[in-house]
Amino acid sequence: MRGLTRRFGDLEALPPLDLALDPGERLALRGPNGSGKTTLLRCLAGTLIPSGGEAWIGSHRAGTLAARELLGASLAAERSFYLRLTGRTNLLLFARMRHSSAGEARRQTEELIEELSLEEIAARRLDACSTGMVQQVAFARALLGDPILLLLDEPTRSLDREAIDRLWAALDRRPRLAAIVASHRPDDADNCGRRLELGA
Amino acid sequence: MAAIVLRDYAVTRSYRYALVFDFALAVVDLCVYYYISKALPGASAADLDGAPSYFAFVTVGLAVTVVISSASAQLAQRVREEQLTGTLEALVTQPVKASELAFGLGGLPFLLALVRAAIYLTVATALLGVSFAGADWVGFTVVMMATGAALLGLGIALGAVVLVIKRATVVVTLASFALGLLGGAFFPVEVLPDWLQPIAAIVPTRFAFDGLRAALFTGGGWEDDAAALAAIAVVGLPLALWLFRRALDHCRRTGSLVQY
Repeated sequence: MRGLTRRFGDLEALPPLDLALDPGERLALRGPNGSGKTTLLRCLAGTLIPSGGEAWIGSHRAGTLAARELLGASLAAERSFYLRLTGRTNLLLFARMRHSSAGEARRQTEELIEELSLEEIAARRLDACSTGMVQQVAFARALLGDPILLLLDEPTRSLDREAIDRLWAALDRRPRLAAIVASHRPDDADNCGRRLELGA
Repeated sequence: MAAIVLRDYAVTRSYRYALVFDFALAVVDLCVYYYISKALPGASAADLDGAPSYFAFVTVGLAVTVVISSASAQLAQRVREEQLTGTLEALVTQPVKASELAFGLGGLPFLLALVRAAIYLTVATALLGVSFAGADWVGFTVVMMATGAALLGLGIALGAVVLVIKRATVVVTLASFALGLLGGAFFPVEVLPDWLQPIAAIVPTRFAFDGLRAALFTGGGWEDDAAALAAIAVVGLPLALWLFRRALDHCRRTGSLVQY
């Protein structure tokens, strides 16, 4: 990204930012509330158009269909599911948006459920799951479609120790997967090779 | 697009009693008009677009109205639900085109409306004495499909309005109600005041009601209405999709995708 910035009226939510991330690199986004961490993730995810500058995912401008194919995102996880459906059904639905074949979508969904030990959550309706359980499904959803870049907003919030370990282990098993992790937790920053302090 | 339709089916199925009551409501609705028709007999077939009775006339009106409602108001309602549940942002981060999103959100309501329309016609025929003996079912199918395509454009446009102004229930309900009223769902448009006649002559639903009644009651004469509906769809759908894309862009620009 070059000079990426976002304003809301007179408020500069994200000051101009230059940044490049290599395959497999993990960046911890740090900073106080309101420093622009989530705004940056939203600009990269394409749900917010920057006020200035540009961002690219691979060779595609952020927000385009091709760029969205290359990234997985977990933003505002607790609200962004169909809570009357099970974890498995939710994952399958989003997998179908990323795979042309239903069989491939089902295969990857089951693989992720097994890899992240989500069997119990997958069988439950999400309105019967805790915030931490839903958060784990959100992480699994971000991995669907084998993205090259993950955008994770507070991914370990509400997770127990085992779930946190599974999350980082899943990232470790994907050495080419780059990730931008917005978090206040020092542990999360320790699992990332780089740090970027916003609002400093 | 299929994924979104399947998702909606899964959610709808989770409210199974609501679905059953919705179909039961269709039968009750029909009974109300059946008894109104019995209480107020006397209209001639010539006044009712070839329908043998007011009940037969309004049965078609009701059947088409649910299709109109699904293609227009319910798509906008689905957009609103995505806003309220916070899933709109999750959908927009997926590699899904705006057109796939629009058609996907409208898909299940439209299919359910076809089922409900079929219930209206079946119950009216089997239990309440309406005869479609001389119907041209090919014509009926063609006009119904053209109606769906023409009105889906309106539904997508209303979805775009909801994306931008969020609480647009009144606008959506008003548009849907006006389309039924001015198109001739419940009474022949000839009884409307003179100043409304020019508007009634061009609303897309008018072609839908006229075409379907012609196909069901006179067995022909639906072709011009089907052509008019197809023309509306050819112009309206691309325009509506353009509006939907612009509305999504507006939300991305203003940061209001996650607002409700």
